[in-house]
Amino acid sequence: MATTSRTSGSPLALRLLAGLASLVLAGPAVYLVIRNFTADADPANLLFSERTLGPLRRTIVLATLVSVSTAALGTGLAWLTTRTDLPARRLWRVLLVLPLVYPTFLGAAALVRTLNPGGLVNDLLTNIGVDRTPALQGLWGSWLVLTLLTYPYVFLPVAARFAQLPASIEQSARLLGNSPWKVFQQIVLPQAAGSIAAGTLLVFLYTISDFGAVAILRYDTLTRAIETNQLNRPVALALSLILLLLAGGVVTAERFAQRRRVTTTNSVRGDVGGAVPLGRTRPVALVAVGVTALLGLAAPLGAIVEWSVRGLAQGRRLRVDAEDIALVTWNTLWVSTIAALATVLLVLPIAFLYGRYRSRAGAIGNAVAISTFALPGILVALAGTFFIRQTTWTFETFHNTFGILIFAYMVRFAALAMGTTLLAVRAVPDRLRDAAETLGANGVRRFTSIDVPLMMPGLLAAGGLVLLSTMKELPISLLLSPFEFETLATRIFGTFNEAFVTEAGLMALVLVTISFFATWFLVIRPSK
Amino acid sequence: MALRRNYNTRPPRLTAALTAVALLAAACGSSDNTAATTENDLEGAAAEIFSGDCAAPVETELTIYSGRDEELVGPVLDAFACSSGISVVTNFGDPTDLALALVEEGDRTPADVFLSKSPGSVGFLQGEGFLQPLSNDLLGLVSADNAADNGTWVGITGRQRVLVYNSELVSEDDLPDSIFELTGEEYRGQVAIPATNGSFQDWFTVFRAQEGNDVAAQWLADMVANDAIVTESNRPTVDAVGRGEFNFGLVNHYYNFQQAEALGDNHQALNHNFAADDIGSLVIVTAAGITSTTTSPDEAQQLIEFMLSEAAQTYFTTDSLEYPLGSGVSPAEVLPALDDSGSDFDVTFDDLGNGLEETIAIIEESGIFR
Repeated sequence: MATTSRTSGSPLALRLLAGLASLVLAGPAVYLVIRNFTADADPANLLFSERTLGPLRRTIVLATLVSVSTAALGTGLAWLTTRTDLPARRLWRVLLVLPLVYPTFLGAAALVRTLNPGGLVNDLLTNIGVDRTPALQGLWGSWLVLTLLTYPYVFLPVAARFAQLPASIEQSARLLGNSPWKVFQQIVLPQAAGSIAAGTLLVFLYTISDFGAVAILRYDTLTRAIETNQLNRPVALALSLILLLLAGGVVTAERFAQRRRVTTTNSVRGDVGGAVPLGRTRPVALVAVGVTALLGLAAPLGAIVEWSVRGLAQGRRLRVDAEDIALVTWNTLWVSTIAALATVLLVLPIAFLYGRYRSRAGAIGNAVAISTFALPGILVALAGTFFIRQTTWTFETFHNTFGILIFAYMVRFAALAMGTTLLAVRAVPDRLRDAAETLGANGVRRFTSIDVPLMMPGLLAAGGLVLLSTMKELPISLLLSPFEFETLATRIFGTFNEAFVTEAGLMALVLVTISFFATWFLVIRPSK
Repeated sequence: MALRRNYNTRPPRLTAALTAVALLAAACGSSDNTAATTENDLEGAAAEIFSGDCAAPVETELTIYSGRDEELVGPVLDAFACSSGISVVTNFGDPTDLALALVEEGDRTPADVFLSKSPGSVGFLQGEGFLQPLSNDLLGLVSADNAADNGTWVGITGRQRVLVYNSELVSEDDLPDSIFELTGEEYRGQVAIPATNGSFQDWFTVFRAQEGNDVAAQWLADMVANDAIVTESNRPTVDAVGRGEFNFGLVNHYYNFQQAEALGDNHQALNHNFAADDIGSLVIVTAAGITSTTTSPDEAQQLIEFMLSEAAQTYFTTDSLEYPLGSGVSPAEVLPALDDSGSDFDVTFDDLGNGLEETIAIIEESGIFR
């Protein structure tokens, strides 16, 4: 891709690519507006009805709480696992990403199964005299579960950012006599502010789009109202538009906040790790990391293992065999990998236009990509169908093909790749490119020998987020996959929904396992 | 398509094999091409449903949008493909989502047959004009109660509404005969209602039609006043009752069997049937319809007839523990017999599509979501 030209403005090819990408990304929003008109929906009237205001308020309260807690948890864990002498840092860096991989309907159900009255933890605690554990439910239950399942949206990009900072920053500061906390607060945190904000924004948007967790935890949000009214189209469409407007508002607000924030982005990868000795706080740090992994990863796993093992022990006939599982695992892996690559490629032009050339069009593309993340996947899928059916040619070319499936994944998850890619673009120092230009390297050469290597950790983190999210994605995979193409997530959903919990449990174990290796490959190898 | 699930691999492989056989036969000048059946290579449950030789393949391909899960209907569809020679392509998914997708696809949809877990989404499709009337022969395969009055869909199997209860915490003697008892003080804060769920909403629509709007809305308001717990769907309700998180849930009969089978004594819940003439004992049907855009209405009808055949109905009840609706098949032994005086209520699922809108409005206005 030609990323620079002799002129100081952005190259035409880049602008065209970014414009095309933005157009694709705007698809679901355009669809929603059109359908609100054609279905005679009345969003303005609905907004001020009792039926909407309550769920809307609860949605905002929950999303705000989850954002605050994930920002703190994700950043803290990222710092501990990249900048300190915490034991087994690299293993923690993989394990702490994994809660992301539970589809929320499954993760929430599994957490409830393990922690709620009558579950495994309750059974264990009876031995020490605790009769009945409190039930995870309502606002605080949803808050805890969503915090545990979404903090990796902050953890992953922030850890990638921390991994890029030279250790010398902290060392010099410490030599000047500053306490570790002060160093963290004044030196390290500002370096990661952009990543933290980007990750937290994703958490906020994910939370308002989620139905799986809040449904299980019985907390009434806007997505519940949408879900209840699915077949009552005017209401569902109007509510979805309200959701999108909420998302757009938050994304815009974040941009204004970002303008006032001074971010230092230039950096070169340096000697990383072991920089800050934890000293006596080491046990505390280990407990923090351990408890998070225990609740976010092990607790759901407990229920999943219970479903699998109990079911196998009952000796009943299983509805899936090893061959089925192998096939859907392979399907999941390759389709997610392509989706991840395609999504990073889609957002890259927008990230360059916005990050390097500070273009207004780039800023809009960025905002569109991110706001779309608040829309439930079903809407992205329906939008895809709506657009391709407009002409015979598009329908015949795209319907029931991998093309439309990958497109939908790209639109659904562009937000995940966008923030991190943008930061990666901005982290490339101008002086390096200038030097290369002086030495006579052309645009392509500068892109491949300077931009790409420097951006690589960020791009891998971006792709990794998309990969893990695609592996668990449900509504798009169900609706747009070519007929009879199935993924682990769709099979887990099908079996779990019909209470074939053993089959669902076994496939969930496979999903967690392949995610572990994918994360290892994406997160650990590049930081070697 | 290259990637198919194992028992679905049969039709294309079969087609290829048969084409080869046919070509070979033609090349050899054989005149025996009328008996082009092949060996039955179905596996597992599908082989039990159909054990004869597979029919010669015909050119027609049926596309099925199945809101019923693969684990349940997959073997029946495979058996049909083998027995009829018609190849079957299936798009599995959530019935509501599939119905919405079908409407977006409009008259370009490839769907020939739509299968649903409950009547709501077929009613919706009928309302949008996407279903065609079924023949009287087909409708006659089930009792009039189990098909749409306007003849656009037919029931395949039944799932009975029951009260699932925790068998450690609740004594059998204390179980109610009617849903109207659940508004009493002894049930305060202990009864879960999956109010977002399609089968509950469909049940409530019939409840309104049967007992009148006022009665139904009042019952729900009383349940809310009695601190009823709102849950998302059947499975998590059954799960929570099995753990003793709360004592009761209003669900379809079917889930508790699956959960108990998988978890053994880690799951302490049983189904309780209300009195046969109580609205709480309603049987919700899983439904099938034929799209108005299909180019193969005869084959589509053949498929639905097959699903109502004795072999398929026997499979549905023995394997999935659903209530059979066709071919005079009796329910599996573990299922309590349905009281045939069921015509005590004159239940029809007519107008479910239109009724759904008001049902949702009443549920939302009841204040159950909070």
